[in-house]
Amino acid sequence: MTSPKLYASEITTAATQRSERIRENFLRTRDAAATLAARAALVDEIILKRWAVMPAGIALAAVGGYGRRELFPYSDVDLLILMPDEKTQGAIKEPLALFLRDLWDVGLRISQCVHTPPECNQIDGNNTELAVSLLDRRFLAGEEALFREIKDPVAELGRNIAELTRQRHTRFQDTIYHLEPNVKDAPGGLRDLQVLRWLQKLGSGDGETLPGVDTLFQIRCFLHYLGGRDDNKLSFERQDEIAQLSGVSSPEELMRQYYRAVRGIARLAVRRLDRFEAKRSSLFTQIRDRTSRLSNSDFSIVHGETFLRSPGALTADPQVILRLIDFTARHGLPLSADTDERVERGIPAFENWIATHQPVWPAFREILRQPHSGKAMRAMHECGILAAVFPELREIEALVIRDFYHRYTVDEHTLVAIQTVLDLRSKKGDLFGDLANETQDLDLLTTALLFHDVGKGTPDEAHVEVSRRVAETALRRAGMNDRDWDVVSFLIGSHLEMSAAMNGRDLSDPATTRDMAAKVGTVERLKLLTLLTYGDISAVHPSAMTPWRRQLLWSLYSQTYAELTRELTARIWEPPVSADPELRRFLEGLPPRYMRIHNEAEIQEHLRLGRESEQKGVAVSLKRSAAWVLTVVTGDRPFLFASIAAALSSFGFNILKAEAFSNAHGKAIDTFTFADTARNLELNPEEGRDLTLTVVRTIKKEVSIDELLRRRPRVKPDAQALAATRVTFDNAASPSATLLQFSTQDRPGLLYDVSALISKNGANIEVVLVDTEAKKAIDVFYLTKDGAKLSDDDARQMVDALLALLTSASALNYDVV
Amino acid sequence: MKKIEAIVQPFKLEDVKEALKNIGIDGMTISEVRGHGRQKGHKEVYRGQEYNVDLLPKVKFELVIPDVRLEEVLEAISSAARSGKIGDGKIFVYDVAEAIRIRNNDRGDSAV
Repeated sequence: MTSPKLYASEITTAATQRSERIRENFLRTRDAAATLAARAALVDEIILKRWAVMPAGIALAAVGGYGRRELFPYSDVDLLILMPDEKTQGAIKEPLALFLRDLWDVGLRISQCVHTPPECNQIDGNNTELAVSLLDRRFLAGEEALFREIKDPVAELGRNIAELTRQRHTRFQDTIYHLEPNVKDAPGGLRDLQVLRWLQKLGSGDGETLPGVDTLFQIRCFLHYLGGRDDNKLSFERQDEIAQLSGVSSPEELMRQYYRAVRGIARLAVRRLDRFEAKRSSLFTQIRDRTSRLSNSDFSIVHGETFLRSPGALTADPQVILRLIDFTARHGLPLSADTDERVERGIPAFENWIATHQPVWPAFREILRQPHSGKAMRAMHECGILAAVFPELREIEALVIRDFYHRYTVDEHTLVAIQTVLDLRSKKGDLFGDLANETQDLDLLTTALLFHDVGKGTPDEAHVEVSRRVAETALRRAGMNDRDWDVVSFLIGSHLEMSAAMNGRDLSDPATTRDMAAKVGTVERLKLLTLLTYGDISAVHPSAMTPWRRQLLWSLYSQTYAELTRELTARIWEPPVSADPELRRFLEGLPPRYMRIHNEAEIQEHLRLGRESEQKGVAVSLKRSAAWVLTVVTGDRPFLFASIAAALSSFGFNILKAEAFSNAHGKAIDTFTFADTARNLELNPEEGRDLTLTVVRTIKKEVSIDELLRRRPRVKPDAQALAATRVTFDNAASPSATLLQFSTQDRPGLLYDVSALISKNGANIEVVLVDTEAKKAIDVFYLTKDGAKLSDDDARQMVDALLALLTSASALNYDVV
Repeated sequence: MKKIEAIVQPFKLEDVKEALKNIGIDGMTISEVRGHGRQKGHKEVYRGQEYNVDLLPKVKFELVIPDVRLEEVLEAISSAARSGKIGDGKIFVYDVAEAIRIRNNDRGDSAV
């Protein structure tokens, strides 16, 4: 046997050089297929050379990706070593160990298994991975007779594959939409492509060519070369690098290509798996087959899927497509793969037909009025009908909004928003559910949602107005009448108004409500806009509609409703003249706003805390509603607000809203509403005591704020996020306060730094509204100075000081005043 | 190079291992350990007698990784090991002066 050391050094040098050439070649040509084949050939050579000195009687085979000759730069090299029987194992143990060690030293990541042919031919739940890898087996060297003993696996393996695939999809929440997707394992990724090929080998499906596969191969090659390891996560950083290296115009465009590719693969894979699983359950079959009664002269229902009765129908009469979708919208049954394909082929004829057969709006509207219109829209989108009816929608197809919180592409966001609103209809007793059921024009709302973000395809312009303009062209061409267009135009044009008010305006300020009422004009429009906002926010990402946001949206709706109908629901509680003198004294000097936002029970609670604070100096209460609420009553002093903010941040809580009041006797009542995303307070009862204690000690200056904030992880400054920092002020929005608004990279202690700066500049904080979207914080401060608004000059100075604080290099260190 | 020692709940063993595997970390040493932190164990009753279980079973992960991967690994371990309750464990990070593969005297990053 060759000396291992000699083998290694001799081969390693040559292998390294050739690997390097393959890499250079790839970076020059970006030809992923050639790269994978070249790597497989190189590894073949290295392995065969070393195998030459192995004992006879055993066989070596390549399996998995290596077996297919699709070897990614840092993927494992899967080897199968075949021995005739168990007895041989002892004899080959030592030479095999040396063989594998040498390959390891050359730098190959070998993943090996040793089996007898009968073991390979046995399929049960325990060895699915082996059985699957054998589907791609390739003989390399040794006793070929042993290799030929391996039989082709039975179709039964397909079930196991289906099950494993389902499990894997579940790990990725069954969606292709991930901001930083794993290009191998995520739904629609390369693993799904393999699943399709395997199922085909097992007799299911034909070898259809899928568009975009090259893109996926290329992206994974880049990921491996850039990371120097088997790294399959397409992170934001890698999206930037790969877009640049592969000559794609922007990272957004790269992701657009990615989503297009995985969408096709995922759709086909899920369909094939459905078929495998459907074969299993007889109960399912029974229920499904009952739907065949729905068949009519155009369509027949087989196994719960819609088929065209006459395959040539689409070419003869393109209008069948509209009837097909209408059928889907009525019964909610999916199109069969065959129908899908025929429709896709019939699209050009349908486009011509549409061009000469306007108006299409009445037929389209009929579809929107059916119970399963959400499903129908999705089906129309998937086979290109929607884009044929409204070519304008092509602008947002697979369009990526690249930030840290938009989870979906724009077209998917649109469909999810529509489905969310339509699903509300079945939620009886839910506030928004009832609203959806009271509303007449859901079809117009759906249409507005369909177009609300279409302007995002036109960069460098505010998307709302572009969306409205594009929708006007499209819907007028389709024959929408003036009355309906007015509603749709209003909805698209105002679709950001309610979320802007929720996040940036004090909802208990009558000015906010008056302003919103003036914008919507009528109750019916208010309802539609509320539902649209509900759908729009919910479709940003799966957990975007937090209980807190829901509550904000509902208060905005109900207050605006009261304003429009002149119902004075927000009655202000007035303490009776005979009220006890202690209460009267407590309320002295508190602004009307205080009375407006607190009910009697809350005011009594504050009074109690006030009494407690007389003895202890500080009184704190902690309660839970849609979010947690911490109330602090103590003697007012500078930086009080900032200290409480710091104490909350040190526990990792997200502050959502904060309010500060003080009465004529120097008593401060500060309320902080915050979210406990890690569920710390809920799971650990002691944590609440810890929190209140820390707040008290911080206020009493027994703990330094510096020390508190050191407990939080430091955030890596993101140059882009810091550069995007904006600070503005608004002296017109509120009659009594100046609004200071900023957005910047979020970090622990941010609210503390800002409120400390504001206090230092002599202004009072009345209300703070905080909205955090992943890594970005968007805050609004309502400020006063000596009981009135800030002068424009003062406000400008404040803006400059704040901008300096937020963008300075040390912004992310915990500078303590 | 950094050495990471993570003490986690025994039932989180597989989750943490899987999370590390997903980011391409294969090499690690795992041991069953006993100990307590602020949690300080709890009381149990055995045959009518109350006794203190003051050392609780935990699992310890030890791994050595290149400096650049530190944050990613810490994030993977802590999010996989977190249940939100007291007793979720701790992670310690050490600087490593040198690593040597005994078989062939490889040194540095390539030896870990």
